[in-house]
Amino acid sequence: MAVVFIVIGGVTIWDTFDYADEDSYAFPRAIAGAMIVFSIVLITWNFIRPQIPDKTLPGSTPRRVGLVIAMLGAAFLMPTLGFVLSGLISFGAILGLAMYDPWTRFRLIIYPISGAAIVVGFYVLFSKVFLVPLPVGVLFSG
Amino acid sequence: MNSLSHLLEALSLFHILLALGGVIAGTVVGSLPGLTATMAVAVLIPLTFSMAPASALILMGAIYTGAIYGGAYSAILLNTPGTPSAIATTFDGYPMAKRGDGDLAITLACIASVCGGLVGAVALLMLAPPLANVALAFGPVEYFWLAVFGLTLIAALSQGNLLKGLIGGCFGLLLSCIGIAEVSADVRLTFGSYTLLGGIEVVSALIGLYCVPVLIDLVATPDRHLKVETESRGYRLKEALSVSWRGKFNLLRSSVVGTLVGILPGAGGSVAGLVAYSEARRVGHEPERFGKGAPEGIQATESANNATVGGGFIPTLVLGIPGTPPDAVILGALLIQGVRTGPNLFTEHGSIVYVFIWGLLLATILMLPTGLLIGRYAYRFIVTVPKALLVPTVAFLTLIGSYAIRNNPADVVIMIILGVIGWILGRFGFSASPIVLGLILGSIAEQGFVQGWKIGVATGSVAAQFFARPISVGIVLFIFLSLFSPILLAKLRARRGFSSAD
Repeated sequence: MAVVFIVIGGVTIWDTFDYADEDSYAFPRAIAGAMIVFSIVLITWNFIRPQIPDKTLPGSTPRRVGLVIAMLGAAFLMPTLGFVLSGLISFGAILGLAMYDPWTRFRLIIYPISGAAIVVGFYVLFSKVFLVPLPVGVLFSG
Repeated sequence: MNSLSHLLEALSLFHILLALGGVIAGTVVGSLPGLTATMAVAVLIPLTFSMAPASALILMGAIYTGAIYGGAYSAILLNTPGTPSAIATTFDGYPMAKRGDGDLAITLACIASVCGGLVGAVALLMLAPPLANVALAFGPVEYFWLAVFGLTLIAALSQGNLLKGLIGGCFGLLLSCIGIAEVSADVRLTFGSYTLLGGIEVVSALIGLYCVPVLIDLVATPDRHLKVETESRGYRLKEALSVSWRGKFNLLRSSVVGTLVGILPGAGGSVAGLVAYSEARRVGHEPERFGKGAPEGIQATESANNATVGGGFIPTLVLGIPGTPPDAVILGALLIQGVRTGPNLFTEHGSIVYVFIWGLLLATILMLPTGLLIGRYAYRFIVTVPKALLVPTVAFLTLIGSYAIRNNPADVVIMIILGVIGWILGRFGFSASPIVLGLILGSIAEQGFVQGWKIGVATGSVAAQFFARPISVGIVLFIFLSLFSPILLAKLRARRGFSSAD
């Protein structure tokens, strides 16, 4: 991971050569340089005193990936489907991913209704009370 | 009109209801990640247009103070600061909640917020004009050193691996450089992307780096989110009062820090909380407990950030310079009301100012019962709602909260990507807090440094500009104390332990 930060630092310094004003590049160059130095020291330290990394990852990786995909999907679908519909879809998807209890008839009814109430409730709160212009969606706009 | 008549006017039924309603509304809004105190005040300002100026100020002040406190709920229960002022509350609040003391943490936050708010309001009442001169004494260099002082907290937050903390801090500082440079307007680190021209929005980054990693791990296992005691322990008010009394000097010191930082335009509650936390840790008897669920950490941050409410009003009312972003919104509302701020405000419009200050004190006191009640329900909701509903609800809140800041879906995408990055970095031992510190303090540090450098070059001595100004010298001393006193104290303790063993 320290190598990644060295690369980030290098790319930052490379980008600063395009800046017109020295006031623009002084700070990022200094910080990127410091980051590279700290990363090299960290690599050296780990070389001198190697630590065995804990590679175990408890829990379900597919659920983790699914969560990120569901959230990104909501963000990308928002302009097209509108906030409510994309929110309902992602809420349902994440509900399924986070469900570890068996689906009973009660849960099959209550959970989706609760989810819909939460999505619509927050939509009303943000759009009507806080006057945040939430996207209606290209498909539904007049 | 004398003080008693101002107080009596502030205690009218209408003003009491305004204060109560404002605190409740502000607390609820502040608890939602993505909705800041600034937004809370801005949205409710139109309600004040038909009110008298004093009443309008009481409502806005109550909303502001409630919103700053409300940010503690999600900071403690979800590891996501509801407002940027509550960043430092996550350091100890969330660990307390994880070990089953979330109810105590919320009550402690409430008491600390009330204490801080009262100190800030009293400072506004008694010392506004002289304290306003402090704001004028702070130049770019002082802001730079203040930001560096805040960044020294990285060392405190990186227990066990200072190098990773410093790397994370540098990464956060670079994130703050993305977009258009403040001083010279160069486009930096956008790599041709129009989306990044606006930079990384701080609140989106906060939500992403703090909340998304928690969600990623929550969804992966069937374990409960927080440890919950089987028997109900109520508000744990007696316990919290006892802890607060033991930490009374911490509360007072942090409140004073918050008031002074609130006076500085542009600093805000986030800087106040970080500075107060750093000081509390430095002078604490057991600094190693900080970051692992130390109640003193919550006391320091919550008292400091609520003290900025009163402190921020000082330059706003006396100089017409907003101390914090919500003060800028309130200043606009005052101009619409026809109230001209300035040094003469306290003499020419004393009735407005003093009724407002008494109203702010009233709102702060009312925050205690309302905060305890709302906090209890928030805690019970978080610990009792099934995980299958909690995770999508919080995820949905992060989406809507990060969108609401600039009405930009790109902020939502950036929030999620930063969250994934934060989770990956967490797996390699890099904490999110130094990154967030760097992001928040980066622009303050850079602007102060560049402007100070330019002034130094123009006056012929850069060194004198940075190291000879009295306030700068004081802050630099604090920086050295903050960095080296833990090491010195540890060596002293080891030597004492060694000699007593002999």
